[in-house]
Amino acid sequence: MSKKMKYAVAGFFALLILAFPLLVDNPYIIHTFFMVFLFATMGLGWNLIGGYGAQLSLGHAAFFAVGAYTAVLFVVYKSITPFLGGVVGIVFAVILAIIIGLPSFRLRGPYFTLSTIAAAEIVRTLLLHFQDFTGGANGIPIPFKGENPLFLQFYSKAPYYYLALIMLIAVFLLLRFLEKSKIGRYLAAIREDQDAAESLGIKTHKVKMIALIISAAITAACGVLYAFTVGFIDPDSIAGLSLSIEIAVVVIVGGIGTLWGPIVGAGVVILLTELTNMYLGAMRSGASLMLYGLLLIIVILFKPQGLSALFRKKS
Amino acid sequence: MQGNRCKVFSVLVVVVFLAAMLVGCGGGQGKSAAVTEVKIAFMNPLSGSNVDAGKQDLNAAELAVEDINAAGGIKSLGGAKVKLVVVDTTSDPKQAASVAERILSTDKVAGVVGTGISGLTLPILPVTEKARVSIITNSINDQITAQGYKYAFQITPKGSQFGGTQVDFLKWINEKYKLGITKVAVVYENSGYGVSTAAGIKDIAAKAGLDLVLYEAYPHGFTDASPLVTKIKASGAQALFPIAYTTDAKLIINTMKSMAINPVIIGGGAGFLWPAFSQEMGPAVDGFVSVASWNWDSKSITSNKDLVAVTERYEKKFGTFMTEHAGPTYAAVRVLAEAIDKAGSADPIKVRDALASYNSTSGMAALMQPGGVKYDDKGWNGMVHPVMIQWQDGKPRTVFPEGDATKAFEYKK
Amino acid sequence: MGRNGLTEFVPSRQEGGKGVDLNIFLQTSINGLMIGGVYALVAVGLTLIYGVMRIVNFAQGEFVMLGMYASWMLATFLKIGPYPGLFLVGLFMLGIGWLIFKTLINRVVGKPDEVAILLTLGLSTFLQNAILMIFGADYLTVQTTIKDAAFNMAGLSVPYARVIAFLVALLFVGLLSYLLAKTDLGRAMRASAESRDIAILLGINPKFIFTVAFGIGICMAGVAGVLLTPMFYVYPGIGTLFNTTAFVVVVLGGMGSVPGAFLGGLIIGILESLTGTYVSLDLAPIGTFMIFLIVLFLRPSGLFGRSVN
Repeated sequence: MSKKMKYAVAGFFALLILAFPLLVDNPYIIHTFFMVFLFATMGLGWNLIGGYGAQLSLGHAAFFAVGAYTAVLFVVYKSITPFLGGVVGIVFAVILAIIIGLPSFRLRGPYFTLSTIAAAEIVRTLLLHFQDFTGGANGIPIPFKGENPLFLQFYSKAPYYYLALIMLIAVFLLLRFLEKSKIGRYLAAIREDQDAAESLGIKTHKVKMIALIISAAITAACGVLYAFTVGFIDPDSIAGLSLSIEIAVVVIVGGIGTLWGPIVGAGVVILLTELTNMYLGAMRSGASLMLYGLLLIIVILFKPQGLSALFRKKS
Repeated sequence: MQGNRCKVFSVLVVVVFLAAMLVGCGGGQGKSAAVTEVKIAFMNPLSGSNVDAGKQDLNAAELAVEDINAAGGIKSLGGAKVKLVVVDTTSDPKQAASVAERILSTDKVAGVVGTGISGLTLPILPVTEKARVSIITNSINDQITAQGYKYAFQITPKGSQFGGTQVDFLKWINEKYKLGITKVAVVYENSGYGVSTAAGIKDIAAKAGLDLVLYEAYPHGFTDASPLVTKIKASGAQALFPIAYTTDAKLIINTMKSMAINPVIIGGGAGFLWPAFSQEMGPAVDGFVSVASWNWDSKSITSNKDLVAVTERYEKKFGTFMTEHAGPTYAAVRVLAEAIDKAGSADPIKVRDALASYNSTSGMAALMQPGGVKYDDKGWNGMVHPVMIQWQDGKPRTVFPEGDATKAFEYKK
Repeated sequence: MGRNGLTEFVPSRQEGGKGVDLNIFLQTSINGLMIGGVYALVAVGLTLIYGVMRIVNFAQGEFVMLGMYASWMLATFLKIGPYPGLFLVGLFMLGIGWLIFKTLINRVVGKPDEVAILLTLGLSTFLQNAILMIFGADYLTVQTTIKDAAFNMAGLSVPYARVIAFLVALLFVGLLSYLLAKTDLGRAMRASAESRDIAILLGINPKFIFTVAFGIGICMAGVAGVLLTPMFYVYPGIGTLFNTTAFVVVVLGGMGSVPGAFLGGLIIGILESLTGTYVSLDLAPIGTFMIFLIVLFLRPSGLFGRSVN
């Protein structure tokens, strides 16, 4: 395929993605692609610590929830725009990341994973407990009082779609930069052999912490956008283990430790599950999640490097 | 490098293809032909832990649609028949919102009836508001009409009113039977419905001079009630206000039985009112009292033969008395149909306006005891109030307030 | 006690209030101890699997759930109650364990821990939702003859169902300990746990050992499920509850240590119960998780485990 041809087709796809909400009138479909972009972004964030850093975190929902709840509570209690509230949320998520990372990075393998799970569960339990403040198990609906861009309130789904797309592109570029930077190379070294990297003078804990912080910030930002798009948050949905698993699955299926992996993974997983929901949704919920599990099993057993590896040149 | 690009490419092709399938199959809002039928969406949990309530609502909605169509459909639209689009929200709030979104994107409906569960209604409200489609709900959470939504309508009493009725009832029996109860405990489910109701009791109990010795939330669907019951025991409460759905109500009562704890129980509605409760408890159900947002034999209903006909038809068709969920849902569907009729259109925005100005104390609106239906500027039907029921002979009978009671309260020693 | 809520009410003897009442403390502790026995059973299965073949089984809770559904099916279709059906379900779960090992687990033994975690995670999601699709999300109950009957003495109330669960759990853990300590099979398992290569040199077939160990681990989860059915509702998501707890117990007790898992189970059971009563019901999990994190950070090898790495 000639280079010119390739650029043309790439350009065509780019145009398609940009114009999509204008071509399709269906809010549900636009929302589905919103979710693809969102999970791709979160996947990229997760990949930094889970893929490049080789520390399997199953607690990222905590960052998502902290971002979302902070921004929402600022709106509900203080009428402060989520653009500001979201920044505070990201700061909180970063603090949480440091609290979790400091003691946890000493742990290897499954122990690290277990500690991330415990941390996320504590966050979820606390969110449930302080119900006077957070609404507890009822969750918090974000009151919709009409169109208001400052508060991320839109009638149409299109603005959310574009916001998610912008975030995805930004994070993608960030990660591409990081991959080639010092941090990226250190992470690669650590992934290969942590002890060797240590002896080479790499401060492994510091590097991993930076990766976790960036990862947490990205995830929290996604949480903020999600909250205002959906208009409702509750601890079980956004701070639960299942969300953490979903993020990890998206990356693993797509290709852990690769740049395009999360994007491919999000596309395939989200679209497949929505298709399943549409056709088999009548046959009780569960079909799409069953698919999740099956996909994960298949990928782990047969193609652990993920689907995007199918399209990698054998080096 | 070239091979790499080509391959990433093909992945994108696959992804877009999947996307196209999605658009092709799920997308598009059908252009409706000339109006021969009007669609109303029915959204309730038909699976999961709240399926009990959801089925009651479904029965009522189907009955209402039957009655509407039998009486000639929507007259101002040339006798167009009402069609119910039945939607299972599942019992998960996140799914409820996304299911609602999906249906409203693909089906043109004039309005929505549902849900009966506060925790599921709240996440759907932003969806209906953005879609500009009215939703009439029979859930009781106060927040539903406190958010400034223009398209949300609540046909039932609010959770905060329940407490008043329950405490009034306690005062009444305290006086009447010289029980000397001063210490009360409230245990409530950690959900939209539970929190709302519990807060109401807390407020009123303090004002009524009762000593609230325990105020404890428990998680919905919890599996072990012994810590909770142990706390009840420890608090020394003489009366208990449990607020629970069926499964939890059964669990709490059975655990109390097995731990030999015996306060006066004044149920908080929901699980204490439904047929499943009586099926589970058998003859032991008689004597239990509970507050209810609606009951089939309130005086204003039994004295109106058209309304009695409805409750009897329900009982005949579905084998149980018309439940606390079924009544308001039936009324909601009838009211919605009347609003569509009045608006002369299936356009949800016009229907919304017709609902906002709706005001009736006759016809099917009167089913909402003791008054009728009139939505205030926040969307709440101010003409209703809760009642107390007592199970007698396997059915819940209205025993309080005295203006609504059709059967005397039986105090068993 | 009257049949309904409005007969004579029994005002509690004390002035109420938590804290020093011994009765409440004992009641809470006993509740916790009994359920702790079941936690122990699930955790022992988990720790056995890890100890023998270094597989972190994130789907252990789902096998508890499967045991519950199996028990429900026996009760509903064949009218066999949970206790009579225990043996059958146990056998069934051994078979399931064998099948899962052969098709899935076997392929990842020896690979890095993460692989097993992800695989069993996928399995867990798959199982939970497959059951959801087949049986629906409704909460099911299994009726037993003992229903809610309890031992009532000295102001304490202990339901029969819990006592039986505790005793049977005790029995199974005891049997397993005996197996590990005194039988050839057990010795072989312990040898394989120490070193696969040496085990092979000794003429032990590791694959066979692993299959058996995995089967036993799953069987224990299933049996725990059966014991729980009289006390808990059966629904697809119930596995998650026990999964999390099992992991906390195993870390506390030391990964790979059967006595550790047993003791850990009892401790966690009591702790959870105490937190629920004295702090707050919905904060009960936090007590457990805090202990979990403290153990992880201070002594990851747990009470009895070998040192990590």
